[in-house]
Amino acid sequence: MKKLAILSLSASVLALPALAQQQVVNVYNWSDYIAEDTIAKFEAETGIRVVYDVYDSNEVLEARLLAGSSGYDVVVPTSQYLARQIAAGVYQPLNKDLLPNLANMDEELMQAAAAYDPGNEHSVIYMWGTTGIGYNVDAVRERLGEDAPTDSWSMIFDPANAEKLADCGITMLDAPPDIMQTAMAYLGLDPLSQEESDLEQAAALLEQIRPYIRYIHSSQYITDLANGEVCVSIGYSGDVFIAADRAESAGTGVEIDYSVPVEGAMQWFDMMAIPADAPNPEAAHAFINFIMKPEITADITNYVYYANANAASMELVEEEIRNDPAIFPTPEVQAKLFPTITRDARAERTLTRLWTRVRTGQ
Amino acid sequence: MTGARRVTESALGRLGLSGRALVVAVPLVWLLVFFLIPFLVVAKISLSEVTIARPPYLPLLEWDGLRATLNLNFENYAYLWNDPLYGNAYLFSVRVAFVSATLALLIGFPMAYYIARSPEPRRTLLLTAVILPFWTSFLLRVYAWQGFLRSNGVINNTLISLGIIDTPIVMLQTDFAVYIGIVYTYLPFMILPLYANLVKLDDSLLEASADLGGRPVATFFYVTLPLSMPGIIAGFMLVFVPAIGEFVIPELLGGPNTLMIGRVLWNEFFANRDWPVASAVAIAMLVVLVVPIMALRSAQARAEEKR
Amino acid sequence: MKRGIFLPLVTVLGFVFLYAPILSLIVFSFNESRLVTVWGGFSTRWYGQLFRDPQILNAAWISLRVAVVSASIAVVLGTLVAFVLMRFGRFRSRALLTGMATAPLVMPEVITGLSLLLLFVSMEQLLGWPAGRGETTIIIAHITFCLAYVAVVVQSRLAGMDQSVEEAAMDLGARPVRVFFDITLPIIAPALVAGWLLAFTLSLDDLVIASFVTGPGASTLPMVIFSKVRLGVSPDVNALATIIIGIVALGVGIAMWQMRRAIRRDRE
Repeated sequence: MKKLAILSLSASVLALPALAQQQVVNVYNWSDYIAEDTIAKFEAETGIRVVYDVYDSNEVLEARLLAGSSGYDVVVPTSQYLARQIAAGVYQPLNKDLLPNLANMDEELMQAAAAYDPGNEHSVIYMWGTTGIGYNVDAVRERLGEDAPTDSWSMIFDPANAEKLADCGITMLDAPPDIMQTAMAYLGLDPLSQEESDLEQAAALLEQIRPYIRYIHSSQYITDLANGEVCVSIGYSGDVFIAADRAESAGTGVEIDYSVPVEGAMQWFDMMAIPADAPNPEAAHAFINFIMKPEITADITNYVYYANANAASMELVEEEIRNDPAIFPTPEVQAKLFPTITRDARAERTLTRLWTRVRTGQ
Repeated sequence: MTGARRVTESALGRLGLSGRALVVAVPLVWLLVFFLIPFLVVAKISLSEVTIARPPYLPLLEWDGLRATLNLNFENYAYLWNDPLYGNAYLFSVRVAFVSATLALLIGFPMAYYIARSPEPRRTLLLTAVILPFWTSFLLRVYAWQGFLRSNGVINNTLISLGIIDTPIVMLQTDFAVYIGIVYTYLPFMILPLYANLVKLDDSLLEASADLGGRPVATFFYVTLPLSMPGIIAGFMLVFVPAIGEFVIPELLGGPNTLMIGRVLWNEFFANRDWPVASAVAIAMLVVLVVPIMALRSAQARAEEKR
Repeated sequence: MKRGIFLPLVTVLGFVFLYAPILSLIVFSFNESRLVTVWGGFSTRWYGQLFRDPQILNAAWISLRVAVVSASIAVVLGTLVAFVLMRFGRFRSRALLTGMATAPLVMPEVITGLSLLLLFVSMEQLLGWPAGRGETTIIIAHITFCLAYVAVVVQSRLAGMDQSVEEAAMDLGARPVRVFFDITLPIIAPALVAGWLLAFTLSLDDLVIASFVTGPGASTLPMVIFSKVRLGVSPDVNALATIIIGIVALGVGIAMWQMRRAIRRDRE
């Protein structure tokens, strides 16, 4: 342990004199969600020191924001959480004079994001993605034949298909709004419906296929897909690409693909926002503005394989990623994407209760 | 060391009786500030109404300039009572915790006994060996168990290659995996208090029993077991009680049917963002569990005073 | 029971149970492949990567500091609680103290974490302390829940202890403080060691409570690990665990060797 002690001691001694005069920005972002050199570049350009922490769940972030004085200047919640948090008064409106790089952003996507943050008052898109199907190409072909409906939710939601895939492992995200809304879209209902009868129908559909589901978890499927432990997952786009990448580099012979089904899929955004009680709002604006530089955003997309919403960065994004319809969907597919909505406490509870019934049969 | 001790002693001695008060006051004040007050905050939240704000619940006391109104809302508790989900989750959690604690006792007692009866330095070596695995992160150990239990994991692969089974046994995402995880994680909590108790077990009593012709089994049941009862109670409590509220282990090893109270609480907090109902779940659980446990501890203390 | 095979057998099996997962993470820390379930050949690349990752090293150092400080204070406070409950007879706040020393065991971590977070936020608003959250608040939170565990362990030891020695000393005119330090403390020492180890382990392993009460720049090791496990355990974390085990095992080995030498010297 001594060695570690000396290492980090020397690190903190070096940092100390700088701390006195230097501006600081406290950033709280998802883990593995930024290019390796982004922070160093920001520090070099602005002279502002970055305290960079990472999290892996919206939940703890939300609890800390709701309790107040979290100490963070920039946070990156997912859109549906952000919407609730804006309503609760967690964030300060952005000062757009300090964000000239907003001009780089894709207008259509910013408009889509306005479903969560009316008028884009409080937030800027960091990265975005969809909730679709990640699948093991060979395993699915083996069980459903050459013309397997990989571009349709019927691959999972049709009990006949689900039954055939059950032995190689189907998984779902543990995200009630994502799954329930998707089920409603598959049934031809309005995915944004708050009618209890519609939600009941979705739950009934899910209960039908529930016996064929291996497990319901929001991140376990990433490694399991890569290992060939499971073969079909309802998952987040970027996570499925990571699984595909892992499988390829490990040489397991597993080929993973991702599809955005034709019935439509949920679109979500990870948004940069500034808490109302942020200690360094100016530095926070500088950080957000810096991320919106075309070359910086392109760096991040090239590193994490998530789609960005920065129109000016597109020519700097590697061609292979830019032209991948699973990452940047075609305009036709984009037209079918739907957001999620902010529910009041009662509707939220109905949804969760139905979901618990689906999960546990209780 | 002795100098410092003498100074403390004389300082406390001069204070006389108030030294006694001081000894009570230090932990009491600490717990008042860092446990009781936060606990009362939770109790307060459990009686308020949910809203979208920061913090996400309405204040109990409202002041409209003329008079204050107290809004006590017992609906949250009524809600728990009316939906069988909560009761079932409680019962299931208690069952899982009880089975796990019993298993931990069955494994832990012989280990603690063997360690306590070993000569030095082997005793210290074994005791450290019990703790050592727990200085690696808990999450790593749980993930390692995943690696063992999965269908193409170590156990299944071994069994298949030995020809004992043909198709993998599904162990991960079952209650079995949850038991393994909890027993594994809490085993030192069982062994340590048992060890601390057994190591001081008077050898002469065991010898006396043997001399009087007591068979080892009889000696164990009539001498060792009663004498180690405080350690057994302590160990059982340290496994049983925290295991009830366990969240991470069932989440990582259990299946979707595994619905323990920790998960219910998590849902209320984070899926429903309903802090009042979540607080009510916690308070109800605390009341249901703390009362019997307190009774147990007072009984232990009273029995001691009588001796 | 002297020559029974049962005890050693159970003990050996128990240790196999305890060490099987540890063995697997040591093995996989030398795995070339990033996937923890596929063996890709022997490699030490993750150790190199570990030492280039200030985030993990820093978090490990914070966790260690927090665990040592909170375990030490928790042992003192927990012992006081146990002693007061077992030796002071009746006093006014007795029921309150018993309750408060029991309830933290029952409180689900989420509630403990959140309630302390709310407390710290309002304390900061009212008193200006603790200014912001970080290591200090984690330590306070850990002391509070570890204290309860220590109290249970020490209480069980006090319950099993022969009080006549204490009484004899008291009869001979020794002051209570003196009796405590000269007689009680040495007798309950194994329980204090056990309690400290327990508290240290609890603190080192805590994820949920620390996630709530921490602040910018103070991520503990479990928090960093958890933020990475979404993509499966990263092998560099296995490497860190292996190093920790290695260092502790080495330390224990040296201590054993010295102890054995001391014992041999005593015999001569």
